Amino acid sequence: MSAVNEPVLIDVQGLKKSFGSNMVLNGISTQIRKGEVVAIIGPSGCGKSTFLRSLNLLEIPTGGRILFEGTDITDKSVNVDRMRQKIGMVFQQFNLFPHLTIKKNIMLAPVKLGIMTREQASLRADELLKRVGLPEKAEEYPAMLSGGQKQRIAIARALAMNPDVMLFDEPTSALDPEMVGEVLELMKELAEDGMTMVVVTHEMGFAREVATRVMFIDDGEIKEENKPEIFFAQPSNQRLKDFLSKVL
Amino acid sequence: MTFAEQFSQNFLEDSRWQFIATGLRNTLIISLFAVLIGIFLGFLVAIIRSTHDKTGKFKFLNLICKIYLTVIRGTPVMVQLLIMYYVVFVTVDPGKMIVAILAFGINSGAYVAEIVRSGIMSIDQGQFEAGRSLGFNYAQTMIYIIIPQAFKNVLPALANEFIVLLKETSISGYIGLMDLTRGGDIIRSQTYAALFPLLAVAVIYLVIVVFLTYLVGKLERRLRNNERS
Ligand SMILES: Nc1ncnc2c1ncn2[C@@H]1O[C@H](COP(=O)(O)OP(=O)(O)OP(=O)(O)O)[C@@H](O)[C@H]1O
Ligand SMILES: [Mg+2]
Repeated sequence: MSAVNEPVLIDVQGLKKSFGSNMVLNGISTQIRKGEVVAIIGPSGCGKSTFLRSLNLLEIPTGGRILFEGTDITDKSVNVDRMRQKIGMVFQQFNLFPHLTIKKNIMLAPVKLGIMTREQASLRADELLKRVGLPEKAEEYPAMLSGGQKQRIAIARALAMNPDVMLFDEPTSALDPEMVGEVLELMKELAEDGMTMVVVTHEMGFAREVATRVMFIDDGEIKEENKPEIFFAQPSNQRLKDFLSKVL
Repeated sequence: MTFAEQFSQNFLEDSRWQFIATGLRNTLIISLFAVLIGIFLGFLVAIIRSTHDKTGKFKFLNLICKIYLTVIRGTPVMVQLLIMYYVVFVTVDPGKMIVAILAFGINSGAYVAEIVRSGIMSIDQGQFEAGRSLGFNYAQTMIYIIIPQAFKNVLPALANEFIVLLKETSISGYIGLMDLTRGGDIIRSQTYAALFPLLAVAVIYLVIVVFLTYLVGKLERRLRNNERS
């Protein structure tokens, strides 16, 4: 899909973040348009997670602005909780709620936040469970699931809020190798359905095949970003070249 | 005196068993209501303290909570009971039962607070972030996600706290309240036979505690089997 004409969903302007004296993000600017799938890669500790988590203010930026659908979410007067309802997030460690059944994990937010009635949320949960291929797990607890299944449920839980964009922080890094495929496959389907996605990943295959744009972060800056065909075939930044030679 | 005669003298004559029965009733009432107050106070304090630790809010309330915890845990419960009766309620008399319930409840709250706080702090930070990322605010995340898990985790410890409390109420006699211990002691003072009444009292405490311990064990197993996480 050509994203150039699509509206900008997230507009990051000069984003900075430091922890104490440790400057992690050093002025990041980029725009994420509707329907884009942006893969973020970079060496460990370069600030990928920090960048992603800044997008829904799990980390509070120390400088710059982030506009989400035109609203500056770094503005103190903005209701961040409202914004987050439209920004789904999937974590490396799944973070399913262990005290709730799978179905209740999915229904909790839409019901308690008053987005859906219990009946609507129940229907939506059934639909999502089918979509992630786990309808038979509805009444089980997260502890009964494999890692891959947990992550698919975590994706379903985020989708239940009907978000406009989904953030993934290394969604397959905590999985046994044989379970990586099922999660990536689901993410690919999401992308094909037009979901806007920002994905921090070590899966170069995914970045190459599914992403519409790949972004390389190093030293707290975007060193290079491009369409995957060009990004992988003709990298120009030396650090990126070194990085790719190591991971490919 | 034969065993039967002693038994009859201590428990049947003049319906002395009623001291034990009334005492037991009072002990159970005090324990039950005190533990309810304790749980309420404990959760309140724990939530204020952990919110302060996580967000930096509630500075003043947190200070009050800390003073409360320090004072209550730093002084004997008996002194607290005496102060409650002879100082706090010296002018108005709400009844000895109420005084005891308040004293033990306030005392228990301090211990419950630390149990619950450790329960809250033991919940993975990722749970909190998952809640916030779905659009829940801080309070909603606590209510729907953190507290239910923390409560489950500390339920056995809370039950144990109830067992401790039940035994501690045996000092209620110091404010002239007839609890189980005092009931037995009154019989002793009337019959001048210590063995039977005090043994009866001890056995009753023991039976209750063993029974409660059994329930706690069962509860712990149930919780573990339920989600295995
Ligand atoms: N809460 C925090 N407090 C202090 N320092 C932090 C915090 N979170 C991250 N950092 C630091 O910020 C830097 C970037 O961390 P970040 O997690 O964003 O890296 P990453 O690119 O996601 O790495 P990885 O590939 O290992 O996940 C690291 O040096 C890390 O130590
Ligand atoms: Mg990371």
